[in-house]
Amino acid sequence: MSLTSTLETLAHYRAHNTRASKDIVEKGHVVLKGSGLRKLGDDSWQFLEQYALAAIDVGDFDSADDALQRLTDQFPGSPRVDVLVGIRMEATEPNDTVLKYYDELMTEDPANAAVWKRRISMKRRLGRVEQAVQDLSEYLDTFYNDVEGWLELADIYSACNQYTQSLQSLSHVLLLAPQNPFYMLRFAETAYTANDLQLALKTALVVIDMAERDVTSSTETPATGISIRAWWCIKLCSRKLLAQPNLSSASGTTAPKSLRLIDELATERMMTTYSVTDKQIAQGRDEVVGWMSATP
Amino acid sequence: MTSSLSSGSLYLDPQIRDWVLFPITVVMILVGILRHYVVQLLQSQPKKLPRAAIREQRALTRSAIIRATSANSPIPPNLYQSISKHLSDAFQSGAYLKDGGKETSGAPPNPLTDPAAMDGMMAGMKTQMVMMVPQMVIMGWINFFFQGFVLIKLPFPLTLGFKQMLQRGIETPDMDVRWVSSLSWYFLNFFGLNGLYRIILGGDNSAADTLSASPFGGGAMPQAGQPQDYQKLYKAEADNLAFSNGLYKWVGEDVEDRILRKYGKLP
Repeated sequence: MSLTSTLETLAHYRAHNTRASKDIVEKGHVVLKGSGLRKLGDDSWQFLEQYALAAIDVGDFDSADDALQRLTDQFPGSPRVDVLVGIRMEATEPNDTVLKYYDELMTEDPANAAVWKRRISMKRRLGRVEQAVQDLSEYLDTFYNDVEGWLELADIYSACNQYTQSLQSLSHVLLLAPQNPFYMLRFAETAYTANDLQLALKTALVVIDMAERDVTSSTETPATGISIRAWWCIKLCSRKLLAQPNLSSASGTTAPKSLRLIDELATERMMTTYSVTDKQIAQGRDEVVGWMSATP
Repeated sequence: MTSSLSSGSLYLDPQIRDWVLFPITVVMILVGILRHYVVQLLQSQPKKLPRAAIREQRALTRSAIIRATSANSPIPPNLYQSISKHLSDAFQSGAYLKDGGKETSGAPPNPLTDPAAMDGMMAGMKTQMVMMVPQMVIMGWINFFFQGFVLIKLPFPLTLGFKQMLQRGIETPDMDVRWVSSLSWYFLNFFGLNGLYRIILGGDNSAADTLSASPFGGGAMPQAGQPQDYQKLYKAEADNLAFSNGLYKWVGEDVEDRILRKYGKLP
């Protein structure tokens, strides 16, 4: 593999945030041995950052320290390098030392978002969930636009069975990224878990509205990817709601009047998806048929 | 006709070319490059905003985000109401203000008393000085030594209107417009070297933007230093929020009918 194509692959990983640590370290060795750094010019620092992170990831601490040393020499006092040093410390140092290091950085510059996030993730990892939540809420109060942060908060809440709070965090995610059906589906599934079936049903229908733009017939094209999950969610909700029509909704959402039609449509879509094609019978078809025909 | 004849017979000493024309040009290029590096040296790190200030600034974005989708909002009514109410309450009480909403003085803060704003102004002044001082020195140098020099003859004819531009410093009414005086040569360089700087120093160099930084250019003072009266902005934003509350409609409101209609289950 030529040096140019190696560098191209690395740049591609960088641009797409790919976590291919082993590959990056192997390719990085080649680049460092050859004249790659000179060829990269100003990009070499970004490469070194990527290389150091990947080396920490695979536990190659000598290479990581080497790359870190070069970065610290070039950019003394840079917040970006500070975070990298922190990550390196997380790998081997005791947790309290690292937390203290992050605390110091934060007192120096209270608005350092990257360090702040590292500290939150560390607190969560150490099991200090309460502190992590408090810290994260404060962080999100300052940096509202951080979708990642809101997702993390929702994740922490649902890990603690606090589905209502999780839904609230997810609602901020939806506001920030209203075009992403995956977040919407997550919202629907969290609502389903929180036993707010009406809300889950409606949101899952919104997901279908977003994801199945190019599907025109309910029986010809099978549902794919995210829509399969959404249809399952719809089917589950409508089935339960038909069985227990008086189920209350925490969000005060009313079930659609055409619930039976929705239920039928969902069944139809699922049967189309798990259909018998001329090549093969879809995996799990028997189970699906069995479940569909069983009375709830 | 006579003027063109007389201009044709005008003969410039090659010494003028070697000792005046080239030196002025070279000095101006070198000063431009020097200025680029001096400005880089003077530029202080962009000031880091304290956390409270960032929060104050971004609070407005929060409300803008919820307003942006309110006519087709992705979140159900109860969540929308709670976020909207929370924001509007916070705006009314000034909870997002840097000092927690204690300050109630109506007058906007004086930029001269705020040290942070002062720093920004000083930085602007510094770069402006670096722009102006060399230009004044060069202009003085040209005016002192080469006043009234004719440096160069343009290879194309021009109308009389260009006389003002090309023969500054020479009060000869009937000289051909094609002759360029020293002071005019300076101005031609001053405005014309930007392209050259861009080639030598790269696109975003501080030598090329002479226009924006020179006293002749408009908008020399950066507007960023202007202090904002967030209390007022918050009040206005609270009104905007109330307005979009009226527009609010959940995207899931009648989504089941849309889906059913799409698959032909409803007429």
